[in-house]
Order: sequence, then C-alpha cells, then structure tokens
Amino acid sequence: MKRILVIDDAATVRLYHRGILEAAGFAVSEAINGLEALERVAEAPFDLYVVDINMPKLDGYGFLRELRSKDIPQAPAIMVSTEAAANDQKLAYVSGANLYLIKPVRPDRLLAHVLTLLGLSVAPRDIHHRDQQGRHP
Amino acid sequence: MALKKAAAQAITTDDERQRDRDLDGLVLALADADPLARRWAARDLVAYPAATAALIARLVVEPEPSVMEVILTTLTRIGDEQAVIGLVQCLRSEDAMLRNAAIEAMKLLPDEVAPMMGRLLADTDPDVRIFAVNVLESLRHPQVESWLLRVISDDAHINVCATAVDLLGEVGSEIAVPALLALKQRFTEEPYIQFAADLALKRIAAG
Repeated sequence: MKRILVIDDAATVRLYHRGILEAAGFAVSEAINGLEALERVAEAPFDLYVVDINMPKLDGYGFLRELRSKDIPQAPAIMVSTEAAANDQKLAYVSGANLYLIKPVRPDRLLAHVLTLLGLSVAPRDIHHRDQQGRHP
Repeated sequence: MALKKAAAQAITTDDERQRDRDLDGLVLALADADPLARRWAARDLVAYPAATAALIARLVVEPEPSVMEVILTTLTRIGDEQAVIGLVQCLRSEDAMLRNAAIEAMKLLPDEVAPMMGRLLADTDPDVRIFAVNVLESLRHPQVESWLLRVISDDAHINVCATAVDLLGEVGSEIAVPALLALKQRFTEEPYIQFAADLALKRIAAG
C-alpha cells in the first residue's frame, strides 16, 4: 500500500487531507511540523508528501530542503499553502516541491494530482473494488 | 574535557569583551561578522529597551537561525509597543522562517498584541490576516473567540475564514454556533469550509 505523509500544523487540515487520501485507499501518516516529519521519514521514507509552508519549528521549505539532501529514495512532494504569491511558489519548487497547490484544495483535485505523481491511473480503493468484482462476478 | 570547556568559555568571554557592553557597543556588535558576537549582543540588549529598533533591523537581515532566536527572545522580554510593531512588520516578510518566528514571539505577548489585533485582522493583505489568526492560536486573551467570530462573519477571503474555523474548533463555545452555520451558507460550494465548520460544530456540541 502506498504511504503518504501529511505535514501541517493545523489539525483540521491534516484530518481533511487524511480523509480524502484514506478514502482513496492510501495509508496516511501525519506530522505537525517539518521537524516531526523528518523524524517520521527517518523511521521509513514515504511514497509521497503533502506539505504545508508555514509551520513552527521547521517550515515546509526547510523540510523539503532537508528531505532532498538525504541519501534515501526520494518521493514526490505537493506543497499546499494559503499563499498565492509567485515568490512562494518559486521557493517551493527550488526547495524540492513537485507541485504547488493553493488551499483549500478540492478533494477530486488533490486525488488527481496524487495519482499522477504516483504514476497510478486509478486509486488503490478502485483497484481493490475491481479485483473483488473480478473474483465475484 | 574540562580543560577544553574552560578554553571555550575563555574564547567566549574574549568575544564578549571585544566591544563595550553599553547600548552603542552592543548595537554595533549586532552587525559583527561572528554569529557568536551577534548572539551575545542580542542577549545583552535585553537591558536596553531603546535597542528595539536596532534589534528589529537586524532581525530582518539576520541569516543565522540561532541569532534570530535570541533576538526574538530579547524582543519578547522587552515586550513594549515598539517591539510588537517590529514583530508585526515581520509578518509581511517573504522569509517563511522569520514570519513563523514572529508569530511564535507574538503569541507570548497577549496584552501588547491585543490592542493591534483589530487592525491586523482588517489588514488589506489576506496573508497578514491569516498570520494574525495564527497568532490567536495560543494567545491567552479573553477576546480570542469574539475576534474569530468577527473573522468568519465578515472576512471575504476563504483562507482567512478557514484558518479561523480551525481555531474555533478548539476554542469555540456555543456562542460560535450561529456564525459557523452562517459560514457554511456563505461557502456552500467549498468542501473544506463545510468539513471544517462541521468539525468545529461537532467539537462544540461535545463540549
């Protein structure tokens, strides 16, 4: 099962993103800031990261820079922020983001980008359903 | 080991003594090439409220996180109106680390920040309004809930409202229920607002 780490200091945002991704069949973990996220990564790298920018202790840019400097299997990262300024977007990509989305992200949009970045054509949940239907025609 | 530690302390003391420890000497030391000297200067300037402007000026250009941290600690300990105005300026910075550091420092100054909160929540820049709501997160002040209610009732920007709803879920009371229901009506097509407002209503109902 593909593992996704959601990093945001706002508990409601974490829950929202978690709900969308778990409903699609992904295994989701959470971190409340960049430092905690690096601890999670040290335990086991993830297949994708959904990262907020403004967080205490270590912000999203700092987390991505640290992540990209590590000698571990690298995974795509979606930076999600309330800020639409061009400079923030540029900095996100320079720091190592693969995609920059403005909050609030609609569920279908988040899921579509996650599937694309993971190279999947359908959500794991749908693969599971299809397999089950195949077994029980 | 003890000898090494003593030697290190001696170096630090020499660094400290390179300049006069009065206001002018310490302000000069804030621009020293050595981060250690800048850190000591920032620490010692806590005795000089007149240094607030110099500390803020250094803060916005300081590249070393450990020095930035000491400057913010000193500013919060000085904690006067000038210091808070300087921290508010940092909310407009393009440097996310500085913005976050300023937010954390402002949370420690509830009485000094409170008189400015009305202006911050009405700022023309939605990002500054979002940061102001972030400051409210840990601001121990009796007006927090009423500020948040004003935001979700009046602010037109979805992300300012979304940030305020997140917080209302934690600090809101029964008084917030009508405003949360009205917010849901105002943003019927926004899944996140629906989700966050429902969650806040559930938490309030659960007491």
